[in-house]
Amino acid sequence: MSGDRLGGALWDITIPKPLDAEERGRRIVEAAFEDRQKQRGRAFNRFRYKSSAALACGLAALLAVLMLSPAGAAVRDWVDEAISSGAPRPEPTLAKIPGGGKLLVQTGEGPWVVQADGSRRPLGDYEAASWSPHGLFVAAAKGRTLSALEPDGTPRWSITAGKRVAFPGRRIVSPTWSPSGERIAYRSGFDLRVIAGDGTEDRLLDGSIDVGTPPDARISPAYVPPEWSPTSEGELAYVTGAGRLRILDSETGAVLAAAPAMGRITWMDWGANGKKILEASPGRLRLRPVLPAGTPSRPALGRAHRLPLSPGAAVVDAALAPKRPLVAASITHWKKHGTYSEIVIFRPGKGSRVLLTVPGSLGQVVWSPDGRRVLAAWPGANQWLFLPLGGGRGQAIANISRAFSPDGQPTSFPLVEGWCCRR
Amino acid sequence: MREAQDGSGAAMAQLYALHWRGAYRAAFLVVHDAAAAEDIAQDAFLAAVDALDRFDRRRPFRPWLHRIVVNRALDWTRREALRRRADGAESVFEPLPPPDEIGGEMIAALKELPAEQRAVVVLRHLLEYTPGEIARMLDLPRGTVNSRLRRGLDRLREAAEVDAVMEGRR
Repeated sequence: MSGDRLGGALWDITIPKPLDAEERGRRIVEAAFEDRQKQRGRAFNRFRYKSSAALACGLAALLAVLMLSPAGAAVRDWVDEAISSGAPRPEPTLAKIPGGGKLLVQTGEGPWVVQADGSRRPLGDYEAASWSPHGLFVAAAKGRTLSALEPDGTPRWSITAGKRVAFPGRRIVSPTWSPSGERIAYRSGFDLRVIAGDGTEDRLLDGSIDVGTPPDARISPAYVPPEWSPTSEGELAYVTGAGRLRILDSETGAVLAAAPAMGRITWMDWGANGKKILEASPGRLRLRPVLPAGTPSRPALGRAHRLPLSPGAAVVDAALAPKRPLVAASITHWKKHGTYSEIVIFRPGKGSRVLLTVPGSLGQVVWSPDGRRVLAAWPGANQWLFLPLGGGRGQAIANISRAFSPDGQPTSFPLVEGWCCRR
Repeated sequence: MREAQDGSGAAMAQLYALHWRGAYRAAFLVVHDAAAAEDIAQDAFLAAVDALDRFDRRRPFRPWLHRIVVNRALDWTRREALRRRADGAESVFEPLPPPDEIGGEMIAALKELPAEQRAVVVLRHLLEYTPGEIARMLDLPRGTVNSRLRRGLDRLREAAEVDAVMEGRR
C-alpha cells in the first residue's frame, strides 16, 4: 500500500466525534483568547498608571485599613482560603527539590535520578526502577533482566530470567527493595521472587500467584505490586489472583497473615510505621491496621475501614504517609463541564482536609520522606506541585516533561517512582 | 499567526478552523477515545493561545501544534495503559465502527499497533511530516522513526486489502 493511499484512508476513516466538539472547543479557545486580550489590556493600563504613585499609596493605605479591620480580617481569611486551595505560581525550571531528598523518576525513555539541587541524570532504558533504602542504589528492570545500578547508572550486578529464574520469557516487573537493603522482591510473570541485595540467592517465594483470578476479572489482582513492611525486616505483603492479601516471611516463604483484599484492588501502600496498609481502587480507599508480631506470635491483619469519598469521586492515586496514619489522595471529580481535582489528606477518625483544588485532572501523589509535604503531579499543566501539610502555598515547578528530555524539548510527563530518603 | 499575535480574534478563529479537524483526527487515531481526543485537541489550542506572545513568528504553527497534540495523545495512552493494567476496569476504548463502515478494518488494525507506532504512522501519513521532522517532534532517532513506520505499514497493509474488498462488495 502506498503512502498516499494510506494517507487518504486515514482521512476517510469514519471516526466518532462528540456532538458539537468542534464548536465547544471553538468557544473555549475564543474565551481564552479574549482573556488574554483583557490581561494584555490590564498590563498596558498598569504601565500607564505606573507613575501615579499617589494613587498606589492611597490604595495601599486603604487596603491596609481594610485588612486590619474586623470586616477586613474576614475578607483576608476568605482570600487566604481561596488562594491556599489553588495552585501556587510555578517556578519555570526544576532548580531544586522543595524539602530536599532525591527523586527517582520514570519516563518513556527510562528512569532518571534527580538530586536535591535539581541536577538530574538518566540511568538507561529501563522499564521500572526502585530506590534502595538509603538511595545508594537503584533496582531497575528491563525485559527479563533485573539490575542493581549506582545512581550514576553504573550497573553493579544483573540477572536474567531464563538463566536463574524458573520461567524463561517472563518479564520482570515491580522490583522493590526491602527497607534494610538486604533483599529485592520482584515478579517474573506471576511468580513472586526475592533476591539478595548483592544479586545472589535468587529464589521463588510463591509461584503463579494469579491462580484463582475470577474468570470475569479483566485484570488479575495479582498485578498489585508487592510492598515490604517499612519496619519489620523480611515481611512482604502481596495480593493473590483469588483476592487474598497475604503477608509472607521472605526468609522462609511462610504465610504469616492473610485476609480478603478489597474488591478490585489496584494498588496498596504499607506505611504509618508499618501499622497500616492502604488498599486502593479507582472507586474506594480502605485503611487496614496491621498488628505487629510479638515474640513468638505472628503479625495480624485487622479489620479494614473505608475512607469516605464524595459520590462520583474517582481516586487517581493515593499514598500512606511514612510515619503517620495519614493518607494523601489525588481525586478527580469528572463533570461534563468543569472537571476538577483535589489533593485530600485523610486523617482516619478525624475527617479530611482538601489541600489543593485545581481545574482538570491531577496525577500521582507522593509523600516526602519526612512526611511533611506531598508532591502532586499535574500533567495537564506540565507541573509538579510541592504542598506542605503545615499550611502555606507550597511550590510549583513548571516544564517538568522538558526537564526529562535529553534535548530540552517537551515530551511525555514522567512518573515519580520514589522520593528518597527518610531522615 | 502574526495577526493573532497582534490581537485579532478573527485570525485566531481562522487558525482554529484551519487546524482543529486535523488535530482532533490525529489525536483520535492515537488514543481511540473521542472524549480524550476532544480534550487533547482543545488543550493544544489553549496551549497555543497561552504561548502566542512567545511564539517565534518565523516558525510554522502547524508542526508546533501537532507536536503538542501527538505528545499529549501518547501521554494519555501511557497513563491509560498504566491505569488499566492496575485497574481491571472496563476498556477505555470506545466501540469501533463495524467493519463494513468506511475504514473499519483499517481503524481496528491501527488500534492493534502500539501507541508509539500509531503516532508515527499518523504523523507521516495523515499529517504528512517527513521522518526527519517526526524524529524531532517525538525526540526519537530517525532510524527508530523509520523502523516504526515500516512495522506499522506492514500491519496496516493487510487491513487496507480487507477494506478494499469491503469497498468492492458495496
